[in-house]
Amino acid sequence: MRYRLLLALWLITDLLFFTGSYVLAYFLRVGWIFSSNFPLDRFLWATISAAPAWLLVLATTRTFSLTRNQQSLRNFAYLAYSALVGVAFFMLAYYFRFKGSFSGISRLLLLEELILSAGITWIWHILFDFFKRAMLRLSPPSFPTLIVGVTRESKALIESLRRNMSPFTPVAILDAHGAKEKEIHGVPVRGKLDLLEETIRREKITHMIQASGLEQTLNLLSACRHHRITYILLPSVLGIVDRDKRIEDLEGYPVTVVRPRRSEILSFFR
Amino acid sequence: MHAFILAGGFATRLWPLTEKRAKPLLPLAGEPIIDHLLKHLSWEIPITVSINAAFEASFLKWKEQEHRMNIEIIVEGSRRDDQKLGALGAVAHWITHDGITDDVFLLTGDNYCGFSFHDFLSHYTPGTPLVAAHNIGDLEKAKTYGTIIPAPDSKTIEAFEEKPLKPKSTLVSTGCSVIPAAHLPLLVEFARERPDNVGGIFEEFLRRGIPVEFRAYTEPWFDIGSFEAYLEANRALVGEKLLTGKETVCEKTETHGTVVLGRNSVVRDSTLSNVILFEHCTVEDCVLEDCVLDDHCSLKGIDLNGQMLREGTVLTRK
Repeated sequence: MRYRLLLALWLITDLLFFTGSYVLAYFLRVGWIFSSNFPLDRFLWATISAAPAWLLVLATTRTFSLTRNQQSLRNFAYLAYSALVGVAFFMLAYYFRFKGSFSGISRLLLLEELILSAGITWIWHILFDFFKRAMLRLSPPSFPTLIVGVTRESKALIESLRRNMSPFTPVAILDAHGAKEKEIHGVPVRGKLDLLEETIRREKITHMIQASGLEQTLNLLSACRHHRITYILLPSVLGIVDRDKRIEDLEGYPVTVVRPRRSEILSFFR
Repeated sequence: MHAFILAGGFATRLWPLTEKRAKPLLPLAGEPIIDHLLKHLSWEIPITVSINAAFEASFLKWKEQEHRMNIEIIVEGSRRDDQKLGALGAVAHWITHDGITDDVFLLTGDNYCGFSFHDFLSHYTPGTPLVAAHNIGDLEKAKTYGTIIPAPDSKTIEAFEEKPLKPKSTLVSTGCSVIPAAHLPLLVEFARERPDNVGGIFEEFLRRGIPVEFRAYTEPWFDIGSFEAYLEANRALVGEKLLTGKETVCEKTETHGTVVLGRNSVVRDSTLSNVILFEHCTVEDCVLEDCVLDDHCSLKGIDLNGQMLREGTVLTRK
């Protein structure tokens, strides 16, 4: 419920900021006056018409996903792409509604709309993400997460989730073979997988991250399916470490692709 | 004589098959492992089964279906692996709590013993501890078990060695033994220090100069502690054939090696090699090898190798 309210608030504020950035671009071009040659109400009509379409495109980039880091370059690329599509929607809306008077729409205005909507949305997303993470981690956490496997990778992950205030809050750890540690970064190690059902029920687990125990993957997936839990697999379980990996589509089949690590910019072209 | 069956383990290595049932209740060649022990045991001997609280429901259900009336189930309070009393601790607790004064026939609930208990008990000398040994016939294999070094008289034990690097004997301890009533106080005392060391009590007897006898067998014996051991035990008991339970359906299916289909299971258009299906499973258009499927699993269009699937797993290729 908390997450849904935050998401609704995020979507509404995004629409407001999109509209606000366009209005700002308008005044920067026209000056801080209400022009009769290029009326604000027409401009506003086209902006408000384009906003939902822009938001829809933005959503398809999965920028609102819980796993998305809003500060990443990749995320900014998606926001910029959506902003560009937003400008196109604005032009189309304006043209079809007011094709008799297209004057006032200058190239510079469109450029400013693009830069301002992309920049303001990115800044707002970063700020809202901080707020959202803090809200989702308030006790009881919105997304209690079970970690399966005590490994160096899982220890680093738990520390990273804590440091970055991830909405995924580790609340318990299980290990297929048992572990000596009683807790890792404050998260209790409950025991072996025979406590899986009990832990899922008691901690009201919403997400499970598998960090070891490849031989039990099917059974963990089965438990997740049964309890409607989101399952996440660390690539290190498959021996994939320190390479560029992602899930892609190969002729209709979802596949995990691992490539030699290259720069972030080049990754867009592969 | 009173039989005491140790069944209080949590069998975490056999998870998920032991998620809802204890290891002694796993089906072996179509019936629970513990039933294989019981059918070798004289009807006159009263039986106490020591279990943990986590599997109480499954044992009570099993007991309801048993025909023997002289079975008592005692429940340890532990619900987790790290809370259990320990095997010897459970025996000691029962002896003191119930004031046992009989000779105790001690059995491990997750072991399959192919030899006759009647024969074993007929070799019991009153007052002398007796251990059943299995001749594994291979020094290399003996490295993973507790071995028995026989004395020159071939009747008493000279020493025990736990998982020796260089075994001196191919006789391994089976978890089947008799402890005379006279030595129960010593067992209770020893259990206070080493509650998890069942084999240790016989070493303690030897240390205190109490002779321990053994009886060696070559009949099949399995310590079912892992997935591989479980499959091997089924292979050895069932043989290279298809074993079907009540109301099973097996159509257009190729089977290789040992295949066991539990009650109400349905298999169609599939290839199964060394596969055990528990009850109410459905397998269609699958290729399975070395797999064990718990109750109510449903697989369609899937190829699997070397997997144990938890109860209710549904895998369907769309």
